[in-house]
Amino acid sequence: MNRVRRPFRILGVLTLLAAFGMGFIAPALAQDASPEPTISTAALITPSARTNLGWDQQGADGLDAAAAATGITAIVAENGGYDDITPALADLADEGAQLIICHASGYQTTCPDFAAQNEGVSVAVIENPDAVSERVADIETQAQEVAYLAGVLAGLTTTTGTVGVVVSGEPPTWNYMTVGFAEGLNASNPDAKLIYSVIGEAAYDDAAGAKRVTEQQLANGADIIFGMGDGASFGMIEAIREYNEANAETPAWFIDVIGDKSADYSDVLLTSVLFDYSGIYEEMIRNAGTDQFGQVYTMNVENGGVRLLDLPESVPAETADAVASAQASIIDGSVTVSAVGDSEGMHAKLAELGYE
Amino acid sequence: MTLNGIDVTDFLTAMLATGLLRAVPLAIASLGDVFAQKAGLLNLGIEGMMLSGCFFGFHAAYKTESVVLGMLGGIAGGLAMALLFGFLTIHLRVDQVLVGLAITIFAAGLTGYLFRDWYGGQNVAANVRARSIEIPLLSDIPIIGPAIFHRQIIFYICWALVPVFAWLLYRTRFGLNVRAVGESPFAADAAGVNVIRTRYLAIGLAGVMAGFAGAFLAVADLRIFTIGMTVGQGFIALAITMLGGWNPWRIAAGAILFGMLNALGDSLQIVGVGIRTEFIGMLPYIGIMLALVVLAGKTQLPASLGVPYARGQR
Repeated sequence: MNRVRRPFRILGVLTLLAAFGMGFIAPALAQDASPEPTISTAALITPSARTNLGWDQQGADGLDAAAAATGITAIVAENGGYDDITPALADLADEGAQLIICHASGYQTTCPDFAAQNEGVSVAVIENPDAVSERVADIETQAQEVAYLAGVLAGLTTTTGTVGVVVSGEPPTWNYMTVGFAEGLNASNPDAKLIYSVIGEAAYDDAAGAKRVTEQQLANGADIIFGMGDGASFGMIEAIREYNEANAETPAWFIDVIGDKSADYSDVLLTSVLFDYSGIYEEMIRNAGTDQFGQVYTMNVENGGVRLLDLPESVPAETADAVASAQASIIDGSVTVSAVGDSEGMHAKLAELGYE
Repeated sequence: MTLNGIDVTDFLTAMLATGLLRAVPLAIASLGDVFAQKAGLLNLGIEGMMLSGCFFGFHAAYKTESVVLGMLGGIAGGLAMALLFGFLTIHLRVDQVLVGLAITIFAAGLTGYLFRDWYGGQNVAANVRARSIEIPLLSDIPIIGPAIFHRQIIFYICWALVPVFAWLLYRTRFGLNVRAVGESPFAADAAGVNVIRTRYLAIGLAGVMAGFAGAFLAVADLRIFTIGMTVGQGFIALAITMLGGWNPWRIAAGAILFGMLNALGDSLQIVGVGIRTEFIGMLPYIGIMLALVVLAGKTQLPASLGVPYARGQR
């Protein structure tokens, strides 16, 4: 009897020990996975309105989601513009923001300077890894990876063999995506022609200019427009809608970036390169105030920070499969997409691919 | 015939069509501003008047689904801003430069606020479409046919305003009064011209045309409103007014020059000429500056431009 009981006793003791141990270990493990935030308020400043279904909206929505997940207060300061935002940063700090996310590449230097002069504030900047320090984090978006997928899709979808890229400027984010798109296009359809047009130096709101440029691209044979423009994107969409009214048999398509316009523009929207900031914002909020904060936070295809909007039903299954296959190749490392942020390098890459 | 793989006929047609379309809002706004400047009012508020025209034009078009009512809404928006400008500069004699800039900033804030308040900031499209006409035979001419003779009706109306405004400025008593007031309001007053009324009419006309130009953008062309969508076109119109020597015909030519240089820049990118995009973007402004240099000394500002008028005070 005792022989039978002994193993049970030993097992019981082990179980108790395990339970006791886990009582200490499990919270520690949980803490490592998602530590409780040490801050109570995080802010985000955007250059334009948060309702633009694009860059500003994705950032603002991402912070709201991250704040809800971590139980802190979120403040969104819209329309910061592209001038000196130091007064706005000071206001946010006065309102209690301990973390300020500076949601524009134009804020790359102002925000680290502000953090250096304000001890209680941590900041996050876009595409400036050199600025990383104890209270400065950097956000890198491997958008070129998803743009590559968009390029693959465009290459397999175009019927004219000509694809257009229209940009409202040449900031690093646009350049990364242009190169990724061009490489994807080249990989899926080496014979396709790519037309590249810039609307203006910083024409983010120039919808009329965007429409003119897009009309010219359509008139010169492009049937898919990969548009990066913020507010200017709506001009591109309008150009495509007008074109499609006159060319119902051979419609053109629009590939958008950052936001999801499918609710209102599904008639012309082929897909979108979506940015989802909520994951890295949540990580930043949990790290803010600790020595883990100052680092580069990356959004890529693998972690889902960037992805393609679900393709419409009109896209053939084999095309969707090709895009999925390209995505798998990026994740397993068999395809590496060039990351080129400067405009000179971007143009050199387009020339190398035979597009300029 | 192809150029770098692009059909030359399609290429030139698209360039001409784009250039003329880009010129339309500039020409319309400039034509109205001629009267303001000729009457001695330096209207830096033209950008704000255009933006106001964009918003209220879009709003009217969105609500009524009518292009005509949309255009009228835009005109009303521009006129309201112009009357505010007039009240402050003519009635209260506040500095015209300050008021002009204030009007522009105010209009940007007001339209942005209303857009967010009324539309939640969402870029919805108005359910309107300006009607186009295809002029028989002429529209079949290669290149210029589709670019010029197959356009929206409002496109033709806009260009038809050029001779109308030339006639108004040079062939009517109102035009004569405007020119007299801009040169010497005191002399005009002594000759029996009502300076205050003439200046109000002139700035009102400038507001109407700026609003019309804004409505053209937001209603006839884009069917949407985006915050700050005029992106400085009002100021370019102001420059074109001066470049054109306050002559409606030359202003139309200046607007076409600017539009075509813009279109040329876009076209050069499409052909892929290998010129840096920054330089291509500068092309229209270089063209304007060159034209100003060439015309330097050949144009003379209205003598009382920017000078407030008060009877008995010199």
